[in-house]
Amino acid sequence: MTAHFSPWSRAWAIIAGMERLDADPTIPLISANALTKRYDELNAVDAVSFDIAPNECVAFLGPNGAGKTTLMRMIHSAIEKTSGSLTVFDRTPMRDRKLINARVGVVFQDNNLDQELNAREALLVHALYCGLDHATANQRITQLFEWLALQEKTKSTIRALSGGMVRRLMVARALLNSPDLLLLDEPTTGLDPQVRHTIWSLLRQLKRQGITILLTTHYMEEAQQLADRVMVMDRGNIILSGTPNALISEHLERYVLQASGLDELPVINDGVRHERAGDAHYFYSNDEAPLQRLHEQLPTQYAVLRHANLEDVFLKFTGRGLSE
Amino acid sequence: MTDVKADMPAVQLAAQANETTTPGPPLPDFGAPLRLRTNFFWSIYGVWFRHARVYCKTLAANATPPILEPLFFFTAITLGLGQYLRPEGFAGLSYPAFVASGIVVSSPMFTAIFETTFGTFVRLVFQKTYDAMLGTHLRISEMFVGELLFCATKGAAFSAIVLLMTLAFGVRPSPWCVLTPLVGFVTAYLFASIGLIVTSYVKMINNFAFFTSGVITPLFFFSGTFFPIRGHHIAIDVISYLVPLTPAIELSRACFKGVFTVETLGFGASLLVYALIAHVVALHRMTRRVLR
Repeated sequence: MTAHFSPWSRAWAIIAGMERLDADPTIPLISANALTKRYDELNAVDAVSFDIAPNECVAFLGPNGAGKTTLMRMIHSAIEKTSGSLTVFDRTPMRDRKLINARVGVVFQDNNLDQELNAREALLVHALYCGLDHATANQRITQLFEWLALQEKTKSTIRALSGGMVRRLMVARALLNSPDLLLLDEPTTGLDPQVRHTIWSLLRQLKRQGITILLTTHYMEEAQQLADRVMVMDRGNIILSGTPNALISEHLERYVLQASGLDELPVINDGVRHERAGDAHYFYSNDEAPLQRLHEQLPTQYAVLRHANLEDVFLKFTGRGLSE
Repeated sequence: MTDVKADMPAVQLAAQANETTTPGPPLPDFGAPLRLRTNFFWSIYGVWFRHARVYCKTLAANATPPILEPLFFFTAITLGLGQYLRPEGFAGLSYPAFVASGIVVSSPMFTAIFETTFGTFVRLVFQKTYDAMLGTHLRISEMFVGELLFCATKGAAFSAIVLLMTLAFGVRPSPWCVLTPLVGFVTAYLFASIGLIVTSYVKMINNFAFFTSGVITPLFFFSGTFFPIRGHHIAIDVISYLVPLTPAIELSRACFKGVFTVETLGFGASLLVYALIAHVVALHRMTRRVLR
């Protein structure tokens, strides 16, 4: 890191683009302490604290309106925090927005690819924004199109692309500047299972290359597939944090029998916990046998015996009713 | 993934082949450090290039109306109305030259205003272009200076085109008229900044009508584009001196006549001051609007 003592030398360094950030693997890549963002009466993000280590993949899970996107936007300096502290690469967002964002790639929730250009041009202008020269940009775009199997779509307008292609193109765009930190805001929302699995495989490859990944999602499976660590958010707070498996074993029994359409409640054996949400019934147990016996007794075809998953943990803490 | 595919009919698989192709080649080394040009000049060039590329993609559709409009103004006013006016013209210029020197800067004004009102609003609200830019290292000032410079470039080009058009219609100004594209450049920068300020307040796209019809159109007439308006009433004189298009038109007239006085210098200074103030306010306003 270059030290700039006088405001003038710092100003010149900024104008000339000479300031550089060097990664220090011993310090957290992102560190938040009592970070808060307030909109009028609402605390979109309410005093959250967390650290993210280099090369970690962390998923922020939460219902709509939990504050996940707001958190992402604060990290890449798209909004100012209200209070608390936040550092990214040991620098302060907003003040050092240029230095930080030069090393960040963002995949947005909405399609904000340049609608007025074709796929290749949209990536080219973004590469120029990122500071690549024309030759490097073109070379990199060709590689990315190849890698993402989009070669045939280089001349397509953005509107003509399917949802899956748009999302892949947005991942490609976020990789143009060789980021060390990739932020993905609901990368697979609204996509079919094939595209979802494709994106997951891409992200795992990126993680193997040492890129730190932060993603928001409300798909539990996505978090379970990708994340080293999950943070569950609700109403601006981080209510749970840990590895997906630890969260499940810590907060729930191993097995769940899920049933609906029951006219009357069956006799429940010892060691089985029962929960009800609307017309759905959940029976939990650490042993499979009592649940299996219960399953056979049930007069309904809408009963499934399965392992407890992250979704059960999530719903346990955020409530099974509508939170909006 | 194979499980999902196993149950699917071949036709459906083929139909989805484009979508489901798992990226084949290994990931290129995207982690390798790149030399990024994060300096101010490259950043604004990137934004300028984006706007220029978009504009040139549909050049014919974009450029035809703004070129036809001054052509119609010029021919209708000078060849029509001009027949009934005194032959010696106004302000030391023949009437066609008088009108030409006006529209040579009003044309950049219009193109700049439309670009940063309707154009910017669509990018801001519907296309979310600036959100995407916010994901990069670009400063908000760089995003909008690039845009303003593109408007200014377009303004200079329009000045030049209108100038050539009027030359083709037989207007013979002094050789100093080659400086009018420069005046067009600054004028477009100024009005593009004003457009950004307006856009930063506007919530719905329809609201721009108040600005274009209520402000820009009267301004177009109060700055003496088609006829000299000063010397009739003190109020009109004051308004005329204050509207920001006046110094641009006066400068352009000075270039057409090839006569430069102290007053010309004053108009030049006031045009630059207007542009500077509008630039500062526009960047301040847009920063607040974008970082909502």
